[in-house]
Amino acid sequence: MPDRMKHRGDLHGIAIALLLVAVMTVIMVAVRHYVQPTNRSVIYLIPVIAAAVWWGVLPAIVAALAGIVSAVFFFYPPEYSFKVPAAPQIVNLGLFIVIALVTGRLATAVRAQAEAARKRETEVRELYAFSRRLATAKAASDIFAGIQEHLANLTQRRAVLFEGDAAEPVDVSQRSDQQVPERVWAEVTRYASGEVQSESGSVINDDNGHIWLIRHVAPGTGAFGVIAIDLGHASDAGIDEVRGRVDEVLADAAATLDRLDIARVIDDARMRAETETLREALIGSVSHELRTPLASILGSATVLCNTPTVIGDERLGALAGVIRDEAERLNSDIQNLLDATRITSKSIKPLQQWVEPSDLVNAALERRERRLSGHVVTVDVARDLPLIYVDAVLMEQALVQIIDNAAKYSPPGSVITVTARREGSEVVLAVSDQGAGFTEEERGRLGERFFRGERHLATTPGSGLGLWIANAFVTASGGELEATSGGANQGSIVAIRLPVVREAILQLEGAVDE
Amino acid sequence: MNSDSPVVLVVDDEIQIRRFLRAGFELDGFTVEEADNGANAIRKATLSPPDLLIVDLGLPDMDGSEIVQRLRAWSSVPLIVLSVRSNEAEKVRLLELGADDYVVKPFGMAELLARGHAALRRRVTTSTGEPIIKSGRLTIDFGARLVTIDGDRVQLTPKEYRLLQVLAQHTGNVVTHQHLLKEVWGSPHMHDVHYLRIFVRKLRQKIEVDATKPQILLTELGIGYRLAASAPEPAPSEKQIADS
Repeated sequence: MPDRMKHRGDLHGIAIALLLVAVMTVIMVAVRHYVQPTNRSVIYLIPVIAAAVWWGVLPAIVAALAGIVSAVFFFYPPEYSFKVPAAPQIVNLGLFIVIALVTGRLATAVRAQAEAARKRETEVRELYAFSRRLATAKAASDIFAGIQEHLANLTQRRAVLFEGDAAEPVDVSQRSDQQVPERVWAEVTRYASGEVQSESGSVINDDNGHIWLIRHVAPGTGAFGVIAIDLGHASDAGIDEVRGRVDEVLADAAATLDRLDIARVIDDARMRAETETLREALIGSVSHELRTPLASILGSATVLCNTPTVIGDERLGALAGVIRDEAERLNSDIQNLLDATRITSKSIKPLQQWVEPSDLVNAALERRERRLSGHVVTVDVARDLPLIYVDAVLMEQALVQIIDNAAKYSPPGSVITVTARREGSEVVLAVSDQGAGFTEEERGRLGERFFRGERHLATTPGSGLGLWIANAFVTASGGELEATSGGANQGSIVAIRLPVVREAILQLEGAVDE
Repeated sequence: MNSDSPVVLVVDDEIQIRRFLRAGFELDGFTVEEADNGANAIRKATLSPPDLLIVDLGLPDMDGSEIVQRLRAWSSVPLIVLSVRSNEAEKVRLLELGADDYVVKPFGMAELLARGHAALRRRVTTSTGEPIIKSGRLTIDFGARLVTIDGDRVQLTPKEYRLLQVLAQHTGNVVTHQHLLKEVWGSPHMHDVHYLRIFVRKLRQKIEVDATKPQILLTELGIGYRLAASAPEPAPSEKQIADS
């Protein structure tokens, strides 16, 4: 705190301390008959301690002196005079002064400690928040934004960070969203390019008379980029002081950044983002490429299946059927991969429409007619279900995934039941089977991408995408996917729960009225 | 090939696709012509108009919607598009531009043939003004405005009848929500899909055995409805004979 402010604080404290002394005096005068004369001075310890705790040593001393004077004048016989007649009172007075000074000192020290502790706590909390932010950062830009905020908090000034690291020089254009005066901008560019060589940074005035300090976050290296700090209006001497403190804070911050291994974290984040993009792009393009020949294979196989020669020969017919069925399976696997990339790139935009629930069930069953031919399928769709407001195509695809799963994980000849019914304010589309089911542990992981139960790895082919896709589609359309099972080999029920929209009913009543 | 057999023009830049389409259509009694790009397709379709067009949307020289538009400018030839995109909005757009139906790649030959026959029949129906349409157990007599199920008369409201009529004009082919809404309720209700849902439900209760498992009035999710073509499919040669 500058001296001027400190003085003002003291004066304020002294004034309140004196006021407290006056208040104590009034109280003591009022209750004087109940208190022994020798004990009356004790009450003045209250203003002394209060002053020491809240306003420091000087107000405490003033409070002590004022207390002594008041005690002598009001309460020591003879009352209403400054005479101190007897030795015991003098001893009493001496003790009071000593106690007042000692408690004052102690209180001040305690206060200083408390303040230091609070400051440390704030710093730790701030640092903790900062490192947590770093840990959850998905991209390098998140980390830089975190550093910028952190530095702004520490310096208590407006700070603009220009990203960069040792390998890549600062790219000024990257933070074009930041409002920085033209002149500061130009200086940052010059400083970053190494045109201005100054370890301690460069100081420049902007058009509004603000003084900006421009320097590397970590002196000597470009590791965390260049920072521009708005020091505000100040005299030269003031600037030097603020700059000194900023230097200190930045040295600390740079050490912290080093300790947290930020440089590596930034690299990792960049790498992760690139790998992810690359992988998605690869899956996307490979899937597209695979589909083209697949269309020829599947088409040719279906033609073969209907050729008189093939129909006439059982073995040939079976072979052509294998080609057709496997091509279809491959196609749905590729479709799954494409859907997965759509989900991870968040490009699913549900097109909500009024849909007849039975239409969803019929479409999904028709699409999987051939795959279900080995199972006994029972369908139970309640009459007069309300229309639901969902993306019909996404819902059908989700249902197809669930049916696929049921067919895949239950033995041929077992029953697969597809139902649609109303439960309270929901329409529930459910597929139940008598197959492998899942354990409690497996259930918890059903929603994971690429998760496959250990039990099935060797026996049943699959990608582990099915339920994950179903879940993403159902959720995107405003519904909920729910899986229940009695346990391993106890069968399972996978249900899509879709809300019945209230307005729907009103609107529909309007439509019926011809 | 028999000169009476219908001619299909297959437009696709992939030779493998053309190869199996040729085999599939020839097996079914068609005469097959091929084109590997949009310009060739339009030239061939102009010089000797085919009875049916199969057009792939991923042509090297022309966008699928462009070729549909240019053909529809002067020809009402039955047209089925092959699309790899399972994008409903795109399909609806092509249907609105005048394609009779679509098939999503990869597809089975039987599905394409069914669509093709339905589109061919549509032309026969409209050109001869055929007054009676059958779909499974359902018979619609346009002249008498009579709808029967297995010979029993079904009472329909005017809107229900109109809905069925529009679908029947395209028996076997998909009709978009928008088209149905426009024809039955008028342009202001083009986006009130729930009107359709309600009326289709009522209609199904009158004409289907089980309204939750329709056999006649079928749904194309996200696109529209389709009146099932009568099974078994009449062979195109029979159709030609019936036509003459």
